[in-house]
Amino acid sequence: MTAFRDALHAEWTKLRTVAGTAWLLLAAVVLTAGLSAVSAAAVSCDGPQCGEDPAKVGLLGVTVGQALVAVLAVLAVGEEYGTGMIRVTFAAMPRRELVLGAKAVVVAGLTAAAGVLAVLGSVVCALVLLPGNGFTAANGYGPHLITAATARAAFGSVLYLVLVALLAMGVTALVRDSAIAVGAVLGLLYLFPIVAAVISDPDWHRHAQQMSPMQAGLTVQATVDVAGQPLSPWQGVGVLALWAFGALGVGGVVMRLRDV
Amino acid sequence: MADVLTRPAAAPSRDGFGHLVHAEWTKLRTVRGWMIGLLAAVFLTVGIGMLGPAGSQSRCDNVDGARGGAAHATGTCAASTPPKRADGREVVDEEAFVHRTLSGDGSITARLTAFTGRYDPTGGGPATGGGTTGLADGLQPWSKAGVLVKDGTAAGSTYAAVLATGDHGVRMQYDYTGDLAGRLGPVSAAAPRWLRLTRAGDTLTGYESADGTTWTRIGSATLRHLPHDVEVGVFATSPEFSVIRNSFGGSATNTGPTVATGAFDHIAVAGQSTAAGSGADGWTVPRTGTADSGPGGANGPLGQVGASATGADAFTVTGSGDIAPANPDEGAGKSLESALAGTFAGLIAVIVVAALTMTSEYRRGLIRTSLAASPRRGRLLAAKAVVLGSAAFVAGLVAAAAAIPVVTALEHSKGLYVFHASTEAVIRLVVGTAALMAVAAVLALAVGTILRRGAAAVAAVIVIIVLPYILAVASVLPGTAADWLTRLTPAAAFAVQQTITAWPQVKAVHTPASGYYPLSPWLGLAVLALYAAVAYALAHRLLARRDA
Amino acid sequence: MTAPPPPTAIAVQGLRKRYGATAALDGMTFDVAAGTVTGFVGPNGAGKSTTMRVILGLDTPDEGRALIGGVPYARLRRPLGHVGALLDAAALQPGRSARNHLLWLAHSQGLGAKRVDEVVEQSGLGAVIGRKAGGYSLGMRQRLGIAAAMLGDPPALLLDEPFNGLDPEGIVWIRGYLRTLAAEGRAVLVSSHLMGELEGCADHLVVVGRGTVIADTPVAELIARSSGGRVVLRTTARAEAATALAGLGGTVGVTGPDTLTVDGLGTEEVVRALNTGGVPFSEISAHRASLEEAYMDLTRDAVEFRAAPAPEAV
Repeated sequence: MTAFRDALHAEWTKLRTVAGTAWLLLAAVVLTAGLSAVSAAAVSCDGPQCGEDPAKVGLLGVTVGQALVAVLAVLAVGEEYGTGMIRVTFAAMPRRELVLGAKAVVVAGLTAAAGVLAVLGSVVCALVLLPGNGFTAANGYGPHLITAATARAAFGSVLYLVLVALLAMGVTALVRDSAIAVGAVLGLLYLFPIVAAVISDPDWHRHAQQMSPMQAGLTVQATVDVAGQPLSPWQGVGVLALWAFGALGVGGVVMRLRDV
Repeated sequence: MADVLTRPAAAPSRDGFGHLVHAEWTKLRTVRGWMIGLLAAVFLTVGIGMLGPAGSQSRCDNVDGARGGAAHATGTCAASTPPKRADGREVVDEEAFVHRTLSGDGSITARLTAFTGRYDPTGGGPATGGGTTGLADGLQPWSKAGVLVKDGTAAGSTYAAVLATGDHGVRMQYDYTGDLAGRLGPVSAAAPRWLRLTRAGDTLTGYESADGTTWTRIGSATLRHLPHDVEVGVFATSPEFSVIRNSFGGSATNTGPTVATGAFDHIAVAGQSTAAGSGADGWTVPRTGTADSGPGGANGPLGQVGASATGADAFTVTGSGDIAPANPDEGAGKSLESALAGTFAGLIAVIVVAALTMTSEYRRGLIRTSLAASPRRGRLLAAKAVVLGSAAFVAGLVAAAAAIPVVTALEHSKGLYVFHASTEAVIRLVVGTAALMAVAAVLALAVGTILRRGAAAVAAVIVIIVLPYILAVASVLPGTAADWLTRLTPAAAFAVQQTITAWPQVKAVHTPASGYYPLSPWLGLAVLALYAAVAYALAHRLLARRDA
Repeated sequence: MTAPPPPTAIAVQGLRKRYGATAALDGMTFDVAAGTVTGFVGPNGAGKSTTMRVILGLDTPDEGRALIGGVPYARLRRPLGHVGALLDAAALQPGRSARNHLLWLAHSQGLGAKRVDEVVEQSGLGAVIGRKAGGYSLGMRQRLGIAAAMLGDPPALLLDEPFNGLDPEGIVWIRGYLRTLAAEGRAVLVSSHLMGELEGCADHLVVVGRGTVIADTPVAELIARSSGGRVVLRTTARAEAATALAGLGGTVGVTGPDTLTVDGLGTEEVVRALNTGGVPFSEISAHRASLEEAYMDLTRDAVEFRAAPAPEAV
């Protein structure tokens, strides 16, 4: 246990002392809240049947925030391979799975912190802007927008960002190159929705959405027509978690077996 | 002598730029991972493109059980194959047409005294099509009634028509895509419209009049290969009503059939006319209640479709459908560009390779060797841009040229109908996809030069190209926001892959989500090129100023 | 000296460059002459690599300039035909083979594969040239870097720490190679932070510290000055010898149980004095300082000079 604590301490010091970390986290917060604000300002509900989901509208920024979180996570692993420092790390901490675990905990913690700020920023923007755009009690959105469902959506969005970070770390441990890892992770996240859109068979369309780490994960933001989603919110988080921990697990095993 | 002859070739006019390009090409081709990356771009474009049809199937048997059954036996799906006009373009050609044969030159004239329609305001589809109760009165914007000259009654045959519309006044339309505007305003008994079409050889000329004496020419059209004998008469038709709803996942449309009824009198055919049908005075009249296609059937609004004589040279015609160019809609076939859905995956591979060619030089310190070999730094960047742009262009060209036939063949084997595109459109699709990859590669190279970090550059370029596209086609954003995203962001470039046309005379949802981009193909690509140019200029400036 | 001075191949003139509060270059000025191996020495962080980057147009100085044959590097066409450089032997794309590394560099200068094969042969990498550069040892990378510098057959060469990572055989090879290059009339600038590496190789030295030149001198002169006419004497009669030599005005120092050093007297005078006094001795020789010693003398002076307050400022 002390070995893990030491690894944790070492990884925290490493990540803390790299200049990029703070900038990436700041950018993740600002861009997430910014896109959410733009979306909350742009989308309006024009009647009781408008079908707009205030949580999805107000938390849209997560779609861009995840890219920055992914870059942070990729760099936490990939830069060590790029610079050759991974040899120093593994010489100091020969139990490689502990290293990856410690990195995962540190990155997850930082992502959660930034995610909370990003989601809070988005929520504030949404609460200010959405009632003026027709998201009112008259159109069926309750006395105020904070409900158990929207709270779940907000909390789930933070969880979503953390899981994306873990997925990115696992992929990077597999491919060992930052740039390729970023391409692979963003491809994995962004391509599924595009492919799903051209699949016209409703069953396969639904399956594609259920498998998609991004679309499945973001069902946690659904507060309107929850039954019509391809997955229930927590099932969706579960799919993303499978992706994330699956990638992390495979990455960890490969990292352990492979020569550095 | 040999020296004199070889010198010009050995010293190119751009003073060694050719050598730099050669050097950059050598650099690119000698790193196996990068060549694999470019090859992966080709395979991903084709492979991901195949996932679309692989996960799709013909659903024609749901549209029409009887025909679907027959289609399964023959291996094709007739119900999902729309009619085509002579050049292969898919059309809609459904109308109630009271007609007789005209041989040679002549004209048809009629007075439209009333033009009304009915529709289901909820847009209720087949499920709610229970009788005419619950229907509201009103015309669709492009409901049509008027005089028609047509090369027979086969769907897809060429025609010319002078007609009144629900919202767009009197028009002269011909051969499905031609559309000329006449006088605006609604039709009523107090304000009837006299409509006339004359044929002289291949030329058809349309006229309209308020009183039958003062005629205004709307325009004329040349219908090539119009036979000697044509069908002339009066018709009515009315396109589907659609309720467009925004919801997550884009806008959903809810459609239902509508009908339009035109009351004609003073119908007169000049020229050598033959009684073709058994109806009143030799007219062939579609009988009410015999509509055989489309949802609703005899019990729905379509049960009213048909025509009846209301006196000498007078008919009331009720029609449903449209005479117009057709575009792929949900479930009704695929557009050709659907074969290129894998472009995004290929694009990501190209972006990674392009960014890495620069950022890996920074990572290894190799940039110093490169700059020592080429002190004029702008030329180094230019040489890299030329090499990467060309390599990405070739990769894109091969990818698109392979994806279109391969994915289309798979779509056909799945019984899906793939919409026709002109040869120019196919060439533009292939070359445009290649150019899209090339410009994106230059953008990634420039961003890589600016940021000097591979991961950051790859993420930045993917986010600015792909994320706006996803937000535009598959997010909560409304159509106007999606339009602006595909106008202002690099995602505008995907307009170069659009083959479907947003016809003004057809009411449809023209959003990026349904495949319609606000910018024209090359203008959209120019938006991406503009981003690439700005990034390139910044990269050029920074590279020249920064210590290596 | 009747021969005209050799032409200047590289001229470094008053370079200054600051990185924030630190002055990396502080008036760096020196010339590199054709036909010589010039050692560019100084402690780590003295500004050697920065100077070389400025010469190659990679870094822009705040002040001053560097000229190659009278022309700034950035104005050279096919620059590798004017200067070849080895800056960082590790600057390679690991996935690319060593030969292909040389090939792209050759193409950038309009050269072909034939020239690549020539420099590969000279570098002695022939057997391993097809391997990926990522698998190269540091010594192999140094040889590859030197081969790259020789691609354009340049009249001037800049080599930054080429001895790093070389085995003894490699060090001997590179010394001989640099001598050959100078003998062909090329100007060679070799940086090193270890003076010993340049022993028997450099014929001119530019010693730098804190971004400026401390000494710019031919090696022969420096050694002579450092040796300072000292005579080494081996004798079993230390006391007698010391007395006899001191009487003639020599300064005698004891360096071992039977070894003395004598300053202030020539070898002839020492022999004569010992013979006159009947002092037995087994060996007598003029001392020759090592380059290392000469360098230490020089930098000690420089540090003292820098530490002392300027006496003119009264």
